[in-house]
Amino acid sequence: MPAALERAMADLVFGPAFEPHDQAAVEAWLARAEVEADDRKAILDDGVERLLVYRALVRGTLRGALECAIPRTMARLGPVFDEYFDRFLRERGPESRYLRLVTREYLDFVEPSWKSDARVPSYMKDLAEHEAVQIEIASRSARPDEQESAELDLDRPVAFIEAARLMRYGHAVHLLPDDTLDRTPPEAGPTALFVYRNPEHEVRYLELSPLAADILERLLAGHALGAALRGASGRTEGPLDPDVLSGTTQLLFDLAERGALLGAAPSEGAR
Amino acid sequence: MTARSLSGVGLGLRWEFLEEVLEADALPVAFFEVCPENYMRRGGYYPSALARIAERYPVVTHGLTMSLGSSDPLDPVYLAELRTETLRVGTPWHSDHLCLTTVGKQVLHELVPLKQSTANARRAAERVCVARDALGIPMLVENITWYAHPGRREIPEADFITEVLERADAGLLLDVNNVWVNAQNHGFDPREFIGSLPLSRVKQIHVAGHTRTASGLILDTHGAPVVDPVIELLEWTLALTGPVPVLLERDNAVPELGELLAEVALLAAAYERAQRKREAPLARSA
Repeated sequence: MPAALERAMADLVFGPAFEPHDQAAVEAWLARAEVEADDRKAILDDGVERLLVYRALVRGTLRGALECAIPRTMARLGPVFDEYFDRFLRERGPESRYLRLVTREYLDFVEPSWKSDARVPSYMKDLAEHEAVQIEIASRSARPDEQESAELDLDRPVAFIEAARLMRYGHAVHLLPDDTLDRTPPEAGPTALFVYRNPEHEVRYLELSPLAADILERLLAGHALGAALRGASGRTEGPLDPDVLSGTTQLLFDLAERGALLGAAPSEGAR
Repeated sequence: MTARSLSGVGLGLRWEFLEEVLEADALPVAFFEVCPENYMRRGGYYPSALARIAERYPVVTHGLTMSLGSSDPLDPVYLAELRTETLRVGTPWHSDHLCLTTVGKQVLHELVPLKQSTANARRAAERVCVARDALGIPMLVENITWYAHPGRREIPEADFITEVLERADAGLLLDVNNVWVNAQNHGFDPREFIGSLPLSRVKQIHVAGHTRTASGLILDTHGAPVVDPVIELLEWTLALTGPVPVLLERDNAVPELGELLAEVALLAAAYERAQRKREAPLARSA
């Protein structure tokens, strides 16, 4: 368990705000952390104005990290973002030592509450996820075996690079302008994007048809290629639809050209 | 690269000018310093660029989140991943700050000061030893800027730092700007403070710029050029320590690389002057 002064400093930066000259609030802060009498006296004698500098610094750093990752979400939410940011810090706080991962922690914390908050537009979760996936894919680790490839086989799963994800949204948030001042709402409608990092380390987005998205979703989940095609096209028996087969071949060839698809994966563990 | 072979003035590597560093033939920089937390657990452009830079320049690592003052156990996963990163760039040592950056599960993402007490110094020293054993390379401990002291101060800051270094038998990464900023904010003589540290333990020096707030408090922002009094203090310190490597930190409002290189050259001139001062008495006695 952290020592009292450590708890006090964490509470000072993440906990409820108080004015440095509000003696009752300062006393309450010290009492919450169970700070010992001699330390409490020293803090009260010195005043907390300068200690509160750390609150501003910590919050500035974290806010800056979020602003890098989800600037349009923050701008569109305005004061509502601040309210959730404060709640995130007060009730949970960042647990990752990697600043880039704090956005994921923040979104995991706030998104369930956004659903029932009328002030948060229904597309906001999609926009936040769309903004956040950029850093996630840009920084996702590469597997050591990513150069290996084997010919595709209907009975085997497909190996993708590690930095690849299928994103599904209920709104076309990927078509919104980058401008943080823009407030245009996105069009509602199912949207699927394949997001990946190319060999030049750039994040790329590929809009998918519903069938292509279903196939890739299954492939990314580790299904064998044949099973993914059957599952996505709803054809459990008989030969595969030639159009589906040729369309999929074209899609997979394209992904391989883009460096996102490596080839056939080992069949072990195929679903 | 060995710890002994590193000298001169280096520069904190920032993503803002990574590409320029890669494209330049050979920059007049003795070494680069990186924050490993920016490269750990990730793939993509930045680790790939760092690997190429490490092939051409010495690189040292300077961490932000070891939380040497914390009463929680050190995270073994972090230490293992950090070891991998230090091996990857071939750093001769790893440094982190004498402060608190984690409390329980929470990460503060700021260098929060410790109560300056013997008990805290002992605990920090133990953690330095654990980290050194886990990393398999020397650990340097950096003195921080602090704006307020949390709780009753039991021992002076210089004694606090010395206790940690002596108990852990560790090196000191002496941040001269931090000493100067603390001296301004708390009203003491920076030379007297530095003179009271175990200077034979100084293995690296940091300098940076800072910002004065409306209230008069100086913040260690690393967002401005190094001021003349800090360069003078650096020169004075180097005359005492000898030619230990010096690093220019610039983490905010990062200017063009050319501007930073000009600042490196200024610091290198101070470095040379300090070495000449050290050699002058020797020459006279010879």
